Amino acid sequence: MTEGSSSAPAAGPTPTPPAPETARPRAPQAGHPAPPVFSPFAFVLVFVGLLGGLALAPVAHAFFASRLGLPAPVATGLTVAAAALFAASMGAVAGWGFRRLAAFEIVAALLAWAAVLELRLWLGPVPALLAGLAAQGTFILHLSLVGLGIFAAIAVFLGSSLAFLFAGTGKAELSFSYESYVARSHLKLGWRTLVLLFAFVLTGIVPGMLFILVRSFLRAAAERRAYVRGELVRTPRMPATLLMTLISIGAVAFGVSAVIVVLSVMSGFSADLKRKILGHTAHGMVQSYGQDDFGDWREIRRKTLAVKGVRSATPFLYQEVMLSSGQNLTGAILKGIDPATVGTVIDLPQSMEAGRLEWLTRPADIPSPRRDGAEAPPSGRTLPGILLGRGLAQSLRVMVGDPVNVLSPFGDLGPTGPQPKSRPFRVAGIFYSGMYEYDTKFAYLDLEAAQRFFGATSATGLEVKLVEPEAARAVMDRVVFALGQWPYYARDWSEMNRPLFAALQQEKVAMAVVMGFLIQLATFTIVATLIMMVLEKRREIAVLKSMGAGVPGIMRIFVIEGLVIGGLGALFGVILGLVFCFAIDKRIPLNPEIYYITSLPVLIDAAQVALAGLGAVLLSYLATLYPASKAARLHPVDGLRSE
Amino acid sequence: MPAPLVRIEGLEKDYLTGERRLQVLRGLDVEIAAGELVALTGPSGAGKSTFLHLLGTLDVPTRGRILFDGRDVFDQDEDERARFRSESIGFVFQSHHLLPEFTALENAMMPALIRRTPREQARRRAAEVLALVGLAERAGHRPGELSGGEQQRVAIARALCLAPRLLLADEPTGNLDPQTAEGIHQLLVDLNARTGITAVVVTHNERLAGELPRRLRLLQGRLV
Repeated sequence: MTEGSSSAPAAGPTPTPPAPETARPRAPQAGHPAPPVFSPFAFVLVFVGLLGGLALAPVAHAFFASRLGLPAPVATGLTVAAAALFAASMGAVAGWGFRRLAAFEIVAALLAWAAVLELRLWLGPVPALLAGLAAQGTFILHLSLVGLGIFAAIAVFLGSSLAFLFAGTGKAELSFSYESYVARSHLKLGWRTLVLLFAFVLTGIVPGMLFILVRSFLRAAAERRAYVRGELVRTPRMPATLLMTLISIGAVAFGVSAVIVVLSVMSGFSADLKRKILGHTAHGMVQSYGQDDFGDWREIRRKTLAVKGVRSATPFLYQEVMLSSGQNLTGAILKGIDPATVGTVIDLPQSMEAGRLEWLTRPADIPSPRRDGAEAPPSGRTLPGILLGRGLAQSLRVMVGDPVNVLSPFGDLGPTGPQPKSRPFRVAGIFYSGMYEYDTKFAYLDLEAAQRFFGATSATGLEVKLVEPEAARAVMDRVVFALGQWPYYARDWSEMNRPLFAALQQEKVAMAVVMGFLIQLATFTIVATLIMMVLEKRREIAVLKSMGAGVPGIMRIFVIEGLVIGGLGALFGVILGLVFCFAIDKRIPLNPEIYYITSLPVLIDAAQVALAGLGAVLLSYLATLYPASKAARLHPVDGLRSE
Repeated sequence: MPAPLVRIEGLEKDYLTGERRLQVLRGLDVEIAAGELVALTGPSGAGKSTFLHLLGTLDVPTRGRILFDGRDVFDQDEDERARFRSESIGFVFQSHHLLPEFTALENAMMPALIRRTPREQARRRAAEVLALVGLAERAGHRPGELSGGEQQRVAIARALCLAPRLLLADEPTGNLDPQTAEGIHQLLVDLNARTGITAVVVTHNERLAGELPRRLRLLQGRLV
């Protein structure tokens, strides 16, 4: 054939037009090369990744926490990172080696893990490793294990999807040259739009909604006027996908900010509680197993103070007693304290509401109560002083200077055994710590007065304040060592309040999970937006494919779009959350009778904020994968026919 | 006669719609030599687009094969075919489908970017092909600022960006007025003459088809 042969079609061995079906032998049915939908090899890899990640976690934790002695949060973080890294790298091998997202394989691996797990739990007793979980009930055990499996599966999926995105064609491609171009053209996000959206998000929904309402009212009115006059107005409308994009960014932003605000308030409460506990109990206590080991408490105090990390120490004597005044009776914890040194360990001097701490040692200075009409009965002798918590004073209906009877079950020996003994004291002061437990239960006496009253020659122990409360365990161990160990033992504040802080931590985790669902819900709008985008861009996707764009390349376009939405949402959310935290910090009054705190406390923890933001980005990434793979697997012919 | 650039043997394509099997192409055998300019005509539903899509490896045939430079293109998996398209095929569609946010130059760069050509090199190449289609002065304009004919020229420039061996145009003038359509056709003829590019152009316009050197006619899935 030469050029210019414009005559009749002369296409090679073309048969005569009405060729019968049998005239020519048909070519064999085609067998085009295509990867399997489910790859058993990839399944094995991701299953190993999932199981390995889960098996690695306890080993890694033992290594980081026990072997290296890292602090608990750091050890936990490193453990999660190590396990996730292993799972992700196995996923990456599967994604890269078998050129697939491996979503089916990962789901199968997760189901296999659940089956293996259930079989193991059904067959025999719970392994020692899981005893802690099992103690919380069967439901929690199963839920936690399945949850761990899901986490591991997500880590594997992260690895496989990233590997597929960047090396899905068999060659590593780290460039975003055309993908970012196309993604930018799809998103249509200009600076002006973003600034407006940010203002909308930042001012809360109400002003923004009002603005939009007013604008659409004016527009509707203008359109009506134009219609009545028979004119055509064409007002520019926002494209649907741009609107969806903005809504998604806003949704993620609100989700992230809600998480940050809620967790910061919870941290605030917990920090406030910790501050109060550390203010009114010592960082550590040295006690003994014997009876009279603290007779020479001054010498023990001297030895304790010599230990590095100890700031101060004060002796105490501890007894449970009954207090009465007139018709009012209540149980209390009576502590004998050394007024000279107690202020160096707990915040008692600062929390005195009425009276003075020093009047414990100088009871003669305690003034008589001034009540209208009634004159305090002049007592024959000076009664020793006692300090009461605000709640305790209220329930006994006493004020500074009023007498209070202290009743101890362990008195002198009488004919029928120990006789309770009672003694009047005068209220030398009233304190308010802000901790309900302390204010309604604690009463303080001078140590020597307490020793006399209880007939004791020793103290119960030493309360110790440390330079660094977080290092309490180690320092207290050193103190016990310095005292020659037996019969002394020490407890630190976290040990004394373990159930409380454990409950707070658990509550916070539960809250974080629940609030995490909020972010996840927001990422569903990303899924919806991207699906809409894919549907709208079917033809463009086909054209890109006709130009040679591969499956991972097309996926990257939509992953970038989702990540931009998620990233901007997270950024806006973090800013919004922080602004909100600063705005409400100490500004929302609370009823101190109920909350024991006068305003809503907020503590911004940088790690927490970062985790919320990164979590949102991660969830956004996962949300993009379904629409992105839908887009990438779109058949170009269908796309080209779609218009 | 030199070895053909494209050799099509017993090409068949069936579509399955539910239970029904629709035979769109019923055994095509044709050779296209390097440098040929071929018009492909036929009524709607004759299988023109399907044929073009198969030729461009956007779809796979039910039977038969296509040898490009002696090599069976359907012997490769999807990724390899994408690479083959990027290297050897240029597509022009009825609607230009340029990215509206970017200039003519940036649109013409797209295939080079997909092929991971360095940006500067891609820009130079895009400027060259824009000059080739006569749009050197309009390189900085966005599609919205160009006329329909100019938009289609940008699309042709984009298809030519990587100097493909085979240009496939699916009714490139279908959306244009007769005068503009004439211009586009002339451009294709010129390009064929100047660069020696092989091209298959699907068209409804019998008159324009008649002006091309060679003409194939599809009727009910067969070449007539």
